[in-house]
Amino acid sequence: MSTPIIAMRGISKTYGTGDSAVTAIKEATFEIFSGETVALLGPSGSGKTTLITMIGCITEPSMGKLSLNGEVVYDEKWLIHDERKLRRENIGFIFQAHNLIPFLNVLENVTLVPQMNGVSTKDSNVKARELLEYLGVGDKETKMPSQLSGGQSQRVAIARSLANNPKIILADEPTAALDGERALSVMQLLRKLAHEQNVAIVVVTHDERMLPLFDRILRVEDGVVREEQY
Amino acid sequence: MINLAQRDISHSLGKFIVTALGVGMLIGVVLIMIGVYRGMVHDAMIVPNDIAADLWVVQKDTLGPFAENSRLHEDLKYSLKGFLGVDEVHPITFQSLQISHAKKPIRVFALGYDVFSGYAPYTLNVGRSIQILHKEIIVDTKTGFKLGDSIPLGRETYTVVGMTHKAVSSGGDPMVYLDLHEAQELQFLFSNEQIRNDRFRGGNSVSTAMVNTVVLTLKEGFDAKTVAREIQRWKHQEVYTQQEQSNILTKNLIERSAKQIGMFTVILLIVSSVIISLIIYTMTIGKMKEIAILKLIGAPNIIITKMIGQQSVLLGILAFIGGNIFANVSANFFPKTVILIPMDALKLFLVIIIVSILASLSGIRTALRVDPASAIGG
Repeated sequence: MSTPIIAMRGISKTYGTGDSAVTAIKEATFEIFSGETVALLGPSGSGKTTLITMIGCITEPSMGKLSLNGEVVYDEKWLIHDERKLRRENIGFIFQAHNLIPFLNVLENVTLVPQMNGVSTKDSNVKARELLEYLGVGDKETKMPSQLSGGQSQRVAIARSLANNPKIILADEPTAALDGERALSVMQLLRKLAHEQNVAIVVVTHDERMLPLFDRILRVEDGVVREEQY
Repeated sequence: MINLAQRDISHSLGKFIVTALGVGMLIGVVLIMIGVYRGMVHDAMIVPNDIAADLWVVQKDTLGPFAENSRLHEDLKYSLKGFLGVDEVHPITFQSLQISHAKKPIRVFALGYDVFSGYAPYTLNVGRSIQILHKEIIVDTKTGFKLGDSIPLGRETYTVVGMTHKAVSSGGDPMVYLDLHEAQELQFLFSNEQIRNDRFRGGNSVSTAMVNTVVLTLKEGFDAKTVAREIQRWKHQEVYTQQEQSNILTKNLIERSAKQIGMFTVILLIVSSVIISLIIYTMTIGKMKEIAILKLIGAPNIIITKMIGQQSVLLGILAFIGGNIFANVSANFFPKTVILIPMDALKLFLVIIIVSILASLSGIRTALRVDPASAIGG
């Protein structure tokens, strides 16, 4: 059996202490493999964002064990020294409101992370142009984010998330700001990317209409994560 | 690597330039304040430098004509001439006068000297020296008069025959030069009614043959302090070397003003620092979301620190350039001399760079505290 790209074992997250302590995630245990698309489903406040930020090494779990790409990154404490390096080399992020850097043009937004990883400007530009072409926004590379439509911005955001050849893409409601047709198009694109580029894609979503496009569904309710069959 | 600071500035260039110009005007004011101080020192030294004496003989127990009232009998010059080492002897009067030009009052500082001694305690810009008594005067261009203009003074009307350029007193008043005896009459001669009154009171009218100082030049090889001691011993007057008289002017007379200007400069620098800090902090606060995204996608602290630091330093540099232009343009409109020298500008530039770096620290501190998780969730 192949090694899971994300493995959580009894991960919990508690905010606060004593009487005011709130447990956002309770002993979550699951594995996600390369090429899988996984939906994190659940009502607001159920702990989805906490879960995704723990996978992205942004929020420190309170207990348990977390492995990314076969490497234990948390075992009752962080075992990595530079979580940002881990993120920029292994993880791509897609946000609800695309969150492109407003003062960088499309090409610069996409090449920023590879350049931070030491890729030359020339090579990162070649790769970024390929991705932008692939995502149908190749003609927008000199545009500023404010000059793009919502759908175009989200495609650029997807290109940015792929620019560092990530093994994991974490998407936080990537279709929430799009109309039904565009939302479906973006989800289909993510599914295609996951399968073609062997990337594990974890998507936080409220939109149950998109569920057929996911390989697996993890439902989060009151901090409890359980696998759900569709 | 993409320069984030440069891209961010390009994105909101107008706002950045206006901000820099605003700070620049403050820096310009700092430069002008330093220039005003330099101008004061420069102005204070114009007259002593033009007089170019080795020794200044003044009334006993006074600091001399620039600091206190000093009166000496003019005929002291004959006995001073007899001292060993003394070359030239020039009695001089100083007094403030108010004249009018184009119906506007002008305060001037009048210097009276013996016009036929061959001595000229000024540097002529245009025109010639005084050749006719009771008729001619030399004025500075700052008075607004031109060659050939008439100036009524006391009982006479004088014609401007020569002009100096930027010759002012330590107080910044433009200089006028006239013959010693006319200057003496202006200063010491009472009106006829006053003289009559004094006679009825049994008193004597004061002689007008008084001067405020007698300046001496020495023959080569004579030590000024030695000659000064001799004059003090035999003539019972106060004697200062040129350096001592200069010190009285620059240290004693304008020291308080210099301190005042120094205080203003320090306060302005502190205000500039606070404003630069606030601007950088506000600029950082305005980019919290972008900073959170940068951290989330893995940007190391050094990239964020560089972005804020570079913007801060660039703001300082632009503000300094703007301030310099502002100071140089506006310096000419000040009524008193403002002297801007490159070394002061260079020192201020270094201060501004240090201030900019320090100012960026509050922004950097805030940026490094931004939680990358805040970029998630729309």
